[in-house]
Amino acid sequence: MRCQRSIGRVGAVALVLSALASCSARAGDATEANCPIEEGELFVLMAQSVPSATLIPCIEALPAGWTYGGSDVSNALARFWLDSDRGGLHAVEVSLTASCRITGAVDITNSTSEGGVRVYLDEFDLHPFSANKYFVFPGGCVTYRYRFGADAEATLALEADEAVTFGLRTVLVRQVRDELGLTLCGAGAPPCLNGD
Amino acid sequence: MDARTEGIERGRPRDHGHPEPRRRPSGEPPALPHELGRSGKFFLLLVLYFIIVITAFLVFPSLESVFERWDHTRQLWVTDLRTPGLTRVMLVINGLTSSWTIRVIRWSVILALVVFRRWRHLFVFLGALIVTEIVAYNASSIIARPRPLGIPILTGWQGYSMPSRPMASVAVSAVGAMYALIVAGKPRSIAKWVIGIILVILGFARVYLGVDHATDVVMGAVFGVAVGVASFRLFAPNDLFPVSYQRGKAAHLDVGGRRGEAIVTAIRDQLGLAVLDVKPVGLEASGGSTPLRIKIEATDEEPERYVFAKLYAKSHVRADRWYKLGRTILYGALEDEKPFQSVRRFVEYEDYTLRLLHDLGIPVPRPYGIVEITPEREYMIVMEFFEGAVEIGDADIDDGVIDQGLGMVRRMWDEGLAHRDVKPANLMVRDGELKVIDVFFVQVRPSPWRQAVDLANMMLVLALRSDAERVYAHALTYFSEDEIAEAFAAARGVASPTQLRNHLKQDGRDLLAEFRRMAPEREQVSIQRWSLRRVLLTIGVLFAAFFAMGLVISNWNAFA
Repeated sequence: MRCQRSIGRVGAVALVLSALASCSARAGDATEANCPIEEGELFVLMAQSVPSATLIPCIEALPAGWTYGGSDVSNALARFWLDSDRGGLHAVEVSLTASCRITGAVDITNSTSEGGVRVYLDEFDLHPFSANKYFVFPGGCVTYRYRFGADAEATLALEADEAVTFGLRTVLVRQVRDELGLTLCGAGAPPCLNGD
Repeated sequence: MDARTEGIERGRPRDHGHPEPRRRPSGEPPALPHELGRSGKFFLLLVLYFIIVITAFLVFPSLESVFERWDHTRQLWVTDLRTPGLTRVMLVINGLTSSWTIRVIRWSVILALVVFRRWRHLFVFLGALIVTEIVAYNASSIIARPRPLGIPILTGWQGYSMPSRPMASVAVSAVGAMYALIVAGKPRSIAKWVIGIILVILGFARVYLGVDHATDVVMGAVFGVAVGVASFRLFAPNDLFPVSYQRGKAAHLDVGGRRGEAIVTAIRDQLGLAVLDVKPVGLEASGGSTPLRIKIEATDEEPERYVFAKLYAKSHVRADRWYKLGRTILYGALEDEKPFQSVRRFVEYEDYTLRLLHDLGIPVPRPYGIVEITPEREYMIVMEFFEGAVEIGDADIDDGVIDQGLGMVRRMWDEGLAHRDVKPANLMVRDGELKVIDVFFVQVRPSPWRQAVDLANMMLVLALRSDAERVYAHALTYFSEDEIAEAFAAARGVASPTQLRNHLKQDGRDLLAEFRRMAPEREQVSIQRWSLRRVLLTIGVLFAAFFAMGLVISNWNAFA
């Protein structure tokens, strides 16, 4: 019975989250993870981090009270995080990897999902609010990791979702080719030379 | 050219048997020119190159594509060599830049420095690591250069590529380890070559694996080496803080090689003395300079003899500055003078005090003058060497010597002077005559407290080789009871030099208490002096310490 209630609650919140994922942008602080992605060196590095990923996460606009926390990019993992005046430091972390472990996660993909992106949710808790949301797409996976402070409301997650969106890797591939005459090796690019 | 002119021109002995001082003509290099070696010049050029490149990137972003393509072409020269076998070798070599390897190197150095209790080297090493990590990280974020494009990257990486942070980390760790642990001279020269070769191989491996551009690698290595070298040369120069595994070896400038030759030339040209031999002397008692005993060729007027010289370098000025900062924070106005701004002022001041005391008839060494070794960097003050004199701690003290010591202090009081460093090592006895050396700390118009401390220290030194009653009785000839009481009320703790305090401890008698018992009652004079400057300095140093601690904690991943 408890389990059923829990699943129902997860489903309700997940529906709210996914329904509001495409809300309009608001004015916010400029960050190195700002969209459009062709204007930031960070995205080229993120694309190098997970060469197979066809989508790259970026910040469309930060709602009031949210700030860009920082980024950390290495081979196979690229992440940036957002701080919130209500949710606390590192309230949301967005990470890009080649794949995710979604065993046990709830599929909350809605009918409007494009480009073969499937959305999953797990580790959901309301007090304090915490959850992991996975966007699985060809060659990659983006994880939103919500970890709010004790007093923060769960609806804050809607604001975070509103801030983050995705850019196409092919845009970056074209930009690198046009501007530098070089190849951004990986998905959407011609094969690179000197491979092992 | 007549015979007289010829002698002057060549600096050769003239008819009276010693060389004539010779003015260095404009354009002629000094005795020991300050010049960078080939490696130093090469290194400086690289630093300049990177400053220009980064500035150009920031000012003209369109240059990026030109630079990227140029770098890419160079990289292809290396990656074209890729074979499965060579790739395996390069991956192994690249393991040197793994965070675990760097941690092991850093913690080994830290542990070794703790075991050898080489605290200054430890702090300089930690500082160099922190500066490198912070600056390299921030520089890479500002430059924001992606990893090499157009080639598959064959190994792990983190963050932007320029400068190569792993290369900077390895370079600063290796150079720091070398300066902190390896003895200067041949072992260190060998270590420099080894580090250089390792960095070249490592850099090649990273370019081969496509993880860094060639310029990233060079920039990272140059930066790491630069921070390591600059940190140790500035804050733990070998001249003052040498790495040694022999006990009791003090810090001093090497007076062999080019410097040794320069000393001979400079003394001949500037003082007209022909040098036969230069030998360091009394190194244990001197930390602020390099004391030398120099043998001078006989002339028609004087037989072969020794002179005493003190060699000062910029590192001594820096050490003096830190010493005074520490004293100001600990005791306030105890050392009521400002630090020297240059080594020239440093040596000029000692020359002045020496001449002043000599003119007043106080038995100090006869001054010969200042000798310039390297302009604004190294100077030497030359004076008479008290041959046959022994330190007062090893001499027999009679009433005559006691009177001379007390009379000397009385004379300085009357002339408005204080010696400020009265201790056994600075008082010599020869044929029953007391001599005073090392007048660097002499102060004109000192505070009354300073003069009182001089008297107390002199009485304590004299009593160490006799007894308190005898010295006190003689002191009453030169000073009133109230003046003696003031002296022992002022002489507390650090007011006496460390060497004197150690001798008093070893002696066993409580001479200070004996003198205080004999003198009239007087309230103790506090050595603590408070001023706005002291408060601000203390706050500044505490703030710097907390800031440094914060840096260590926030960059803990550099070590842990």
